[in-house]
Amino acid sequence: MEPEDRIQRMTDEGLLDEKQAEMLRASFAGQHGVEPVPHSGVARVRGLFLGSAALVVVFVIFMLAGGGPELEVIQDVTKTLNQPGGHGEMNRTISTLLAIGLMFIVPLLLWGWMHNSLVAHEEKVFETWAQTESNFQRRADLIPNLVETVTRYLKHERETLTDVTSARAKSNEQLAEGINKLIGDQKAASDLLRKGRAVVEDEALMKKLFDAQTALGSNVTNLMAVSENYPDLRSSDQFLQLQAQLEGTENRVNVARMRFNEAVGEYNGTMRMLPWSLVASAGSFRRKAYFRSDEEARNAPELDLE
Amino acid sequence: MRRNWTLNRASVIRLLVVAGIAAGLAWWGVRTLLPAKMVEDHAGLLTQEQNAWVSEYHQFLLRDHDIDYRVVSENKVADINQMAVKTFERLGDGMRSTTGRGLLLVIAPDEKLVRLEVSRSLEPVYTDAFVKYIEERQMVPFFASGRIADGILATTEMIVTRAQEARANVEFDASRHASKSAGGGAVSRIENAAKNAARGDGGFTPGATPGDTLKSYLTAMAARNSSPDLEIYTDETRTMLKSWTVTPAQMDNEVKSHRKCASQGTRARGQYAVIRYRIKDRLCAPYFFHKSGEGWQLDLTMMQKAIRFNQSNYWRFDMSVTHAYAFAFDDWRFDKNGFPIAVK
Repeated sequence: MEPEDRIQRMTDEGLLDEKQAEMLRASFAGQHGVEPVPHSGVARVRGLFLGSAALVVVFVIFMLAGGGPELEVIQDVTKTLNQPGGHGEMNRTISTLLAIGLMFIVPLLLWGWMHNSLVAHEEKVFETWAQTESNFQRRADLIPNLVETVTRYLKHERETLTDVTSARAKSNEQLAEGINKLIGDQKAASDLLRKGRAVVEDEALMKKLFDAQTALGSNVTNLMAVSENYPDLRSSDQFLQLQAQLEGTENRVNVARMRFNEAVGEYNGTMRMLPWSLVASAGSFRRKAYFRSDEEARNAPELDLE
Repeated sequence: MRRNWTLNRASVIRLLVVAGIAAGLAWWGVRTLLPAKMVEDHAGLLTQEQNAWVSEYHQFLLRDHDIDYRVVSENKVADINQMAVKTFERLGDGMRSTTGRGLLLVIAPDEKLVRLEVSRSLEPVYTDAFVKYIEERQMVPFFASGRIADGILATTEMIVTRAQEARANVEFDASRHASKSAGGGAVSRIENAAKNAARGDGGFTPGATPGDTLKSYLTAMAARNSSPDLEIYTDETRTMLKSWTVTPAQMDNEVKSHRKCASQGTRARGQYAVIRYRIKDRLCAPYFFHKSGEGWQLDLTMMQKAIRFNQSNYWRFDMSVTHAYAFAFDDWRFDKNGFPIAVK
């Protein structure tokens, strides 16, 4: 069942009030059409062109200024090899052209290789981020299901239990509060997720998203913990199934997050090294943000670039 | 004429390179032929014999369904989820499945946790919910009573059954993948045996016919009534069941698999009766009944002694066991291993 239908059903049955339903609906609106990252393809090509041109200019100057004698040395070798008999002017021209060609081609190839290697690292970052996002989406899709299961159970309990102990009443209150908080956090996290891949290059936005997703994940975990007080709820196969899906999603989020941070570490590390840093600055490659807490950032091991 | 076999430095290098490549290829060839180490029991939970059983059974899973199922036990585990992903990565290249179908069971006895990690290509078949179900409703009850090997094997049976269904419904992705995990699977706590102990009351009386008793038995199973004291069982069966671990998943499976079995009716002689199924229904084992003063009772004790199952859950008779129910099969032919093959 689609989340939208589920929300409508819960509203019709009085499991959700209008405000809760609105917030849940808002968290799904436009969710599946995330904005693409502002692509810097033109800047990249311009950077590649400018970088190559700069290298070419440097080598031409080098050849005009000090490259002559080197070429003569090469020519001398040819002369020796072609002995006896004189060498023609054509040999000299070919050698010169070859040398010039090599001087142009080698740096170009080198530049291209470094550029492509950075692109590959960056693509890995985007690919792992897409995995992370899809797991956030997976969790978001499961939340209406969780809300329905718990609110339905609470409703059932209110209708069937006439004598509710104070401990039970407190637990019910916790569960109801947990649901409210979950709906609120779901909306906040979804709003940030709509920024698309642009979030990958914005440290502040990424930090906000991290906090929002962490709060959402903690709420799900807390709700599950409170449900431990409800053996009937917990022992049902339906709840076990939902619990498995939610726990599985949390674990997938963690694995995807770990792989994303590894990819960001490799990309950022490579970008800072010479001569990649030259290619990166000419090609408008931008540093990527880690998806982690401040504490994790402080305890993060130094990247070993050896 | 005698040749002068002198080697210069270049020839030596060439020879060494060729020898190196040949050795590499030979090692690669031998490595793929050697049986993979299916069980890494660092916590020492299994005896050598049990280790061999599990390894052998899991080799069948690899051979028949291309699923490489490894088991790792470890005493000190900080985070079982992370450990499972890292172990999967470590095992990844050595996994033998050609289609990336990998499963990894991590058992952490000190933390009382189990985790079954599922590779990406198997996620559509072994969903988180399915994995949680087989862990909680099949594996954990065995583990909680200290029967680790039985718990692993009983769960593998369910994995095999699911693989057979998936193959029949063409759910498997047959293209080549690397055995990688994206965190799929589930973790379960090995809780105390009391929670998973037998439950259910009586109220199931022996039937006037074997068919009635079978119906009562299946109703009890559908209600997950694992009480050994039900009157539908013979006295020997009740005694036997008292020491058995009967899991919710086994009971569910009994009901589910019986739905696919087309009965051939009851064959009775004196106090003994058998309800049997078509020969081609290889998963449908016969039921034995014994008549007492109360009515027809299910003789699970003799079924347990006489009937065996192979790794595909096909039933066969243990031909070394003689029993009073053999009359019901005197019109069938069996092969030397006890598998029914045809009507005489």
